[in-house]
Formats: sequence, structure tokens, C-alpha cells
Amino acid sequence: MSSTVDSRARASAPEKPRGRGHLSDRARSERKLGWLLAGPAFVIMLLVTLYPIVQALWDSLFSFRLTAPGDREFVFLGNYATVLSDIVFWRDLGVTMLITVVTVAVELVLGLALALVMHSAIKSTRGLLRTAILVPYGIITVVSAFAWFYAFDITTGYVNNWFSWLPVIGPDFNWFASAGPALTVIMASEIWKTTPFISLLLLSGLAQVPGELSEAARVDGASSWQRLTRVILPNMKAAIMVAVVFRALDAFRIFDNVFIMTQGQYGTETLSLLAYRTSIGRLEIGLGSAISVILFICVMIIALVAIKIFKVDLTGGSGKGR
Amino acid sequence: MLLTGCSGGESGPPTLTWYINPDDGGQDVLAQQCSDASGGKYKIQTSLLPRDAASQREQLARRLAAGDTSMDIMSLDPPYVPELAEPGFLAKPPHDVVQATTQDTLEGPLEGAKWNGEIVAIPFWANTQLLWYRESAAKAAGLDMAEPVTWDQLIKAAKSQDKYLGVQGVRGEAMSVWVNGLVESAGGQVVSDGQDGQDAKITLDSDAGKKAAEIIGTIGKEGLGGPGLATQDENASMIQFQGDKGSFMVNWPFIYSASKAAVEEGALDQSVVDDIRWTTWPRVDADTPSAPPLGGINLGVGAASEHQDLAWDAVQCIVSPEHQAQYFATNGNPPASAKAFDDPAVKKAYPMADTIRKSLDNAAPRPQTPYYNEISTAIQQHWTPPGDVTEDTPRETTEFIQEVLKGDALL
Amino acid sequence: MLSTKQKIGWTVVSILVLVYALFPVLSILMMSFKSPADLNSGKFLPTSFVSDNYQQIFVGDAKDLFLPALRNSIGISLIATFIAVVLATLCAYAIARLDFPGKKIILTTALMVSMFPVISIVTPLFNLWRQVGLYDTWLGLIIPYLSLTLPISIWTLAAFFQQIPWDLERAAQVDGATTWQAFRKVIVPLTLPGVFTTAIIAFFIAWNDFVYGIGLTSTSAARPVPAALAFFTGASQFEEPAGAISAAAIIVTIPVVLLVLAFQRQIVSGLTQGAVKG
Repeated sequence: MSSTVDSRARASAPEKPRGRGHLSDRARSERKLGWLLAGPAFVIMLLVTLYPIVQALWDSLFSFRLTAPGDREFVFLGNYATVLSDIVFWRDLGVTMLITVVTVAVELVLGLALALVMHSAIKSTRGLLRTAILVPYGIITVVSAFAWFYAFDITTGYVNNWFSWLPVIGPDFNWFASAGPALTVIMASEIWKTTPFISLLLLSGLAQVPGELSEAARVDGASSWQRLTRVILPNMKAAIMVAVVFRALDAFRIFDNVFIMTQGQYGTETLSLLAYRTSIGRLEIGLGSAISVILFICVMIIALVAIKIFKVDLTGGSGKGR
Repeated sequence: MLLTGCSGGESGPPTLTWYINPDDGGQDVLAQQCSDASGGKYKIQTSLLPRDAASQREQLARRLAAGDTSMDIMSLDPPYVPELAEPGFLAKPPHDVVQATTQDTLEGPLEGAKWNGEIVAIPFWANTQLLWYRESAAKAAGLDMAEPVTWDQLIKAAKSQDKYLGVQGVRGEAMSVWVNGLVESAGGQVVSDGQDGQDAKITLDSDAGKKAAEIIGTIGKEGLGGPGLATQDENASMIQFQGDKGSFMVNWPFIYSASKAAVEEGALDQSVVDDIRWTTWPRVDADTPSAPPLGGINLGVGAASEHQDLAWDAVQCIVSPEHQAQYFATNGNPPASAKAFDDPAVKKAYPMADTIRKSLDNAAPRPQTPYYNEISTAIQQHWTPPGDVTEDTPRETTEFIQEVLKGDALL
Repeated sequence: MLSTKQKIGWTVVSILVLVYALFPVLSILMMSFKSPADLNSGKFLPTSFVSDNYQQIFVGDAKDLFLPALRNSIGISLIATFIAVVLATLCAYAIARLDFPGKKIILTTALMVSMFPVISIVTPLFNLWRQVGLYDTWLGLIIPYLSLTLPISIWTLAAFFQQIPWDLERAAQVDGATTWQAFRKVIVPLTLPGVFTTAIIAFFIAWNDFVYGIGLTSTSAARPVPAALAFFTGASQFEEPAGAISAAAIIVTIPVVLLVLAFQRQIVSGLTQGAVKG
């Protein structure tokens, strides 16, 4: 850490010169120092992502199976044609989108409720509530997946016994044998684990809503619901948008839960799982790389569309939220 | 340092790495015994592979493709041997080693160790499924279990007794095992000319295939496999078999030692184990002997291994009939060597040893082709859930496999 | 101050939130204490609490699988966290304090990297790693873990540093303190909480990894716990030891719970700082 110490001390001693038309020596050395300090992190981030995606782009142009190295062959966009013309891809894309839309929608409602509870909670319980909801946030996704799986599984589970009074569910109900119920459990575990994150983002959004506004509305005779929809929510739009975009991009990449609970069986496969199964399971590097690239493009499209439509400025001028 | 894996001791004898599939510790013991027996020539160190066969293949293939020099000895699931042998990932066994180790190997396991007519790995142990039954259930159904029984009889018996027929309907390798066993027992084949790789002929759409579809579809549709059939693997079907509605079950021999262990743990009543009997795999056609599924492990040596001679030495030690017998007696995995079956320890620990041996003689391997993974996955996708299997399933599967092999479809 | 009605209301709400947050954890905790006979009982609670499953992973059959994995998970996550936090501290300091072009590029890059689908990275990386010999090594996981931990660390720390009243440092120097004193007495106390909080969040992320763990390792030399959970087996390869998996799952959850208990306030502020500010 000694280098941190030195550079910091050096950098902070002189005050920044501002408003000058030309670059002074000081400004120039500040630029240099800036890149010197930020450079390593920047370069590493680029290397660990840029290299793989370029490599994946290259690999995706070949028909290449790891266990048949002699048969490697340039097919240009052939792999993409195979993927995009296959129903499996579109089915998995559909499943992925379904999971994304449902989990984000539910999480938004649930997260807002949690945020409101924490926001207005009395001091004595606030710490307790925050601590509790941080457990799902911090828990390993694979652990959460096993927990939910064992609870619902027909051999080890108790859920069927607990809810056997419901119409469909009985001791013989096999949650993981068809897409509907299996996706329900998968989404439930995803929602459970990630709602805390959303609720914390919304909580900080709530904190930014001026208290006087809500108070004034109350004096004017607005009901709690009216205050929520007319005053509070519009004022925390930025926070909501950021939360939605972050979570949507995260949910779109869902892998761990599905891998542990169903391995994508019975119509529960997501795009990430398809990419994994093709390149790592089947060792079809070319085809798998093509799916990886398509997945990457999907994520980029979602991000761009979200930013354009919602006008969310995620970078917000070095850390400011809008 | 910790950042890299250890790179073999510079001092002392060379260390051979043996990639083992999960077992009850038997391979560790053998590694120790053969290290000791080598008189300081080498030391064998084991490294564990994942639980399911497909993931084992994944790990091995990736390391082999990378030219990993630590791939000295590998425990290989027979269906995946061709895929690893075809690109030359496996070292060719020396003639004398083949001579010394395969003299009394049973026919089924020996076939499973060949690719293009040559032995490419050494059979270490051989697995096969038996038909396990609860004597009480068989009696109640009035089945004479001394005679070979058919699937149709079992279906009828389970139905009349309102019991479950133990099968594996999970979308996993177990499903391919079942389908292949049924097709082979009906006199058919899933694939012919497997050595042609991508151009292999898929022969699943045959009378044998249709008969297999009828059996699996019936069990699925009538709920005979139990409510969890669509996700039921070997372990889950054993638990079902041990329960009140257990009657008949096709499964590997591990269920015998597992059931005995469950009694010791207090998880199972002794009376259940006393009620368990076994016979050969059920027939599809009443007059044709069945072709039970074949499993087991072959030992291969990596082509990039730096200690191939020592590795073959070690393999020869590991697969000796005495060691195979010992492995069976302690871990419940049956030998591939005929001689090992005569060991008194084996007979004592496994009263069904003779039935297993008889089954191994008739056992049929799964399709031998470098594209087994694709074929197996395609079967799993089309034959599960079992309730959805119809007479069209064999044809649909065949068309799908052909497309996948041509590279025109995703799996 | 509070009416009885409000008190009851808050108690009920708190209990609801607690049940929501902790129930699945309790569920697998109960599972981990079940005896083999109990695993398939279909009941939430074990009939009797036994430690068999824990014995299995610490001294029994699963020891050779679990203990190296635990060592790998702890070591790799800590190193990846440390490197990420050091680099991110430098980077965030520059962004918050220095005037140089490209700040926005760095922050945008961080954001893009954090959105990157891990699966798209793992396959090419696997190919590269096996060529350069990083496959199945600690370093081979630490490097990709940086792609997970660096972006969030940079964002969180940049937000933290922007709030720090850096003028205090100058004030201290005017008061006659040396640069070193000013740094030690003023800057360190101001930045340390942020750095520490970032470290916890980065650790959670590295600790949680599964895809790199299964994609870039193949032996106990580097395999982390989440990946190892998928390897647990019983006496034969056909048996799945739900009990041992549950016990191992609980063990790796303990650090998470301890960190959350000790640093709840810091984690919350860290999580909210990085994402929504201003």
C-alpha cells in the first residue's frame, strides 16, 4: 500500500488550478498521475473482457469441436445461422425474457414494500430489518438454489406436505417435471435472493424524496396511497429506473439457480445455460462462441434501449445518479 | 507456491495422477496398494472427477485437449471412450499389458474398451443392471421369478398391486441407459456404424425402438413409475423401491450395499432388506434373453502423459483380478475379470455375484461413437418425461439426432 | 411515544420480514442436521438433530473434497478482493480527486464490464488458460474474479471519495501537520470505512462465483466451494448426499452471516452509494 500513500500525498497537496485556457505543467502532471492511478484497473477490466469477446467472435466463425481438432473449419456466419434458425435458441430466449420480466416486476413491488417498511421503521427495528434482508443478498446463489430445491423436491421436500390443501399441490406433485412449476421455483429463489438489493436502492431513493412534499400532501388530505403514487414514486423515478436496469441485466444472465435445480430440463433452459452446455458440455467451441456473442449482444441491446428509453444516465457524471 | 498446482515431486519417485470417478474410497486404497507394490518406482495420487458421467467426460476431454501432461491414469466411462480415443487423446496400450490384463475379461466389458477394433483402455470393473424385486410383491402378484419375466408382466403386476415399478425417468444418462437396454433387448440397435462418427446410421426408428417407446410410454402414462418419475434417477428410484409402494426395479448393484448401509444408519428396516431379491434384467420379448445395460470403468492413459510406461505398470497392478475382487467386496462395483468372480470374499459380500456375472455376459454397451454425448442428450430430450413418449418418438429422435450430427441443430 | 397498536404493527411487520429473509436459510440449516433416515421424511424439522453431515465434510468421506475447496474459496476470494480494492482505490481516488480526461470512459467501461455475461467470458478464457497453463490454478480464477469485483469497487469507492471533505487535509497541513501526519490522521480515517465496505461487497461477489469455478477448474487444486457442492457424492456415484451438501452450504454461509451481522450499516451504505448517488 505504500505506493498508494505516496501518490495520494503528492496529489492532494496542491489545489487544482481551474479555469485556465492552456494546460499548465501542474495540470499536465495531474493528467499523467490520473491515468497512472486509474490505468491499472482500467487495463485489467479491458483485458479480462475485451480479449475474451474478441476471441469468442473469432472462434464463432469456425466449426470447431474440442474433441475433433482435425476437423476445424472456417464457416463464417454459419454458426450464427444455425443458432438463429433453431427453435431451441428462441425457446431459451423466451424463457430468459420471461424470467427477466417476471422477476424484475415482482422484485420492484416487493422491494418497494420492503424499502417503505425500512424507511418508516422505528429506530429499534431498523437495524434488525436491514441485517435480516442482507442475508439473502450475501448468500451464495448456489446455496440458495440448493435450499429452494431441497424444499420443493419430491423426495426431500416438505413444501408438498405443507401446501397439500391447495388444489393442484399434493404429496405427488413433482415441481421440477414441467416448465411452469419449475420456473416458478427458480424465479422464487431468484426473487428471494435479489429483492434486498433492489429494496436498498429504492431505500436510498426514498431518502431523497423531500419530506416536506409528502407532509404537505398529507395536510392537503391525500391518502397514503395517493401520497405514494402522486408524490413519492414520481420523485424517486431515477432510483427506480436504475434499479430496474441493473436487475434486468442481471436477471437476463441467470445461470446458477437453473443449473443447480433443473440443469435446464423440461423447458427451463436459459440462454446462459445453452451457451454453457454447448461450449463446455458439448465442447462445440464454434457454436458455443456464437451463442456467447449473441448473448452479449442481447445484453448490450437491453442496456442501450433502457438508457435511451428511460433516459437513465447510469454513469451520471462520475457517480451522480442522474 | 499455492498459486499453481503441484508439479510433481522433483525428488523421490515420480507421482502418477489418477483421475477417479466418485466411489466409496476403493480407488484411493488401490492407489496406495499399487504405489507400495511398485517398490518405489512411482507414487499414485488420485484426483476426483464429478458425479455424473457427462461431467466426468467434460472435465477429462477438456484437459486432454489441452495436452495436460498430468493425465497419467483416467477412470473412463465406456460410452465416452471412442470420443477420447478418436482424436488420439489416449495412449495406445502396449501389447504385453493388453495380454496380461484382458485374458479373462468378460465379453461385454471387453467390447466396451475397444475402438475401431482395438483395445484402447483396460477394463477395471464392469457394471450391469439387475431386476430387483420385493419378494412379497412378486408373490402377491403371482409372478414366478425363477423364470425370466418380461416388461409386460411387470407392468401388469405393478398395476394389479397398485405399486410402483422402479425405473429411471430423469432427463439424464440413466434415461439413455434404459432406452438402449430396451432397444438392444428387443434385438435392435440405437446406432449402427458408430465408427463413422457424424455419418453414423441412426437405427432407432425400428420395431425394437417402437417396442421400447411403448414400454416407456405405458409406464409413464399410467403413473406406474410414481409421481417423481420425470426427475427420478437411480438414487430416487431406490428410495421409492425401499418404500411401501416398492415392487420391482431395474437398477445397478449399488442399491444392495446402500440398502444395507441404510439399515445400519437406522434409515431402513431390516425386514425391507430381507424382502429384496434379484434376477436378470426383464425381457422385452418373452423368448429372447434380455441385453442388460453395461456400465463400469475402463482405465486409460493420457497421450500427453510424461510417465506412460509407469502408468501402464500401475494400470496392470490396479486391474489385477485380486484387486478387482477386493474392489467389489469393499465398494460394490463388480469386476470385469471372470476370475475375480470366483473369489470367496466376493461371494460372501454379494450373494448376487453369479447373477451379475451372467448379466455381464449378455450385457450390451451403449452406442460406441465419438458423438455419443450428442446421441445420448438427444435421446434424453425426446424420451422424457416418459409419459409423453409415443410410437412417433423413435422416428422424431432419429431425425433430430441426424440434424444435430450434421451440425444443423442445437441440442 | 408509540401506541400499543403501532408497537404490535411493527412487531408483526418485523417478523414477516425476518421470516422472508431467513426462512430458506433455516430450511437448509434444518436439512443439514437431519440424519440419513430423516432426509426424505418430508418434514421441515429433523426428528432429532444430528451432526453426521458436518462430520462427513470435516473428518469423513467428503473431507478431501470439501476442505481443499474451502481453502481455495477463502484464499482466492480474499486475494481477488484485496487486488480489486487496491486497484479500485487508486482508480477511484484519481476519479474523485484529479482532473484528467477519460474519467467518464473509465466509469462507463466499469459499468459495461459489470454487465458482461460471464458465460461469454468463460469459454474463450478456458481456451486461453489451458494454452498458458493457468487452467485449474488460483491465478486462473483470481484474474477473471477481478472482472466481477473491480467494476463495483470502482463505483462504490468513487462515490465514497466524492463525499470526503478533502479540504480537511489541507487545513491540517496549514495547522502545521506534515504530509504524512495529515494523511494518517485525516485521510485514512476518512477513507478507510469506504475502502473496508467496498472490500466486504467485493468479497461477497467473489465468494458467490459459480460459473468461473466450474468452467476454469477441474481438480481440488483450485476448485471453489460452490463448484465443489456439485461434486459431492455418497458411497457410490449414484447417491446424492443431500445432507452433506446442506452442511457444506451452511458452512459457507457462516462468513456471510457474520459479516452482515457485524457490518450491516456499512454494507447498506456501500451498496446504495455505488449505484444511486446524488
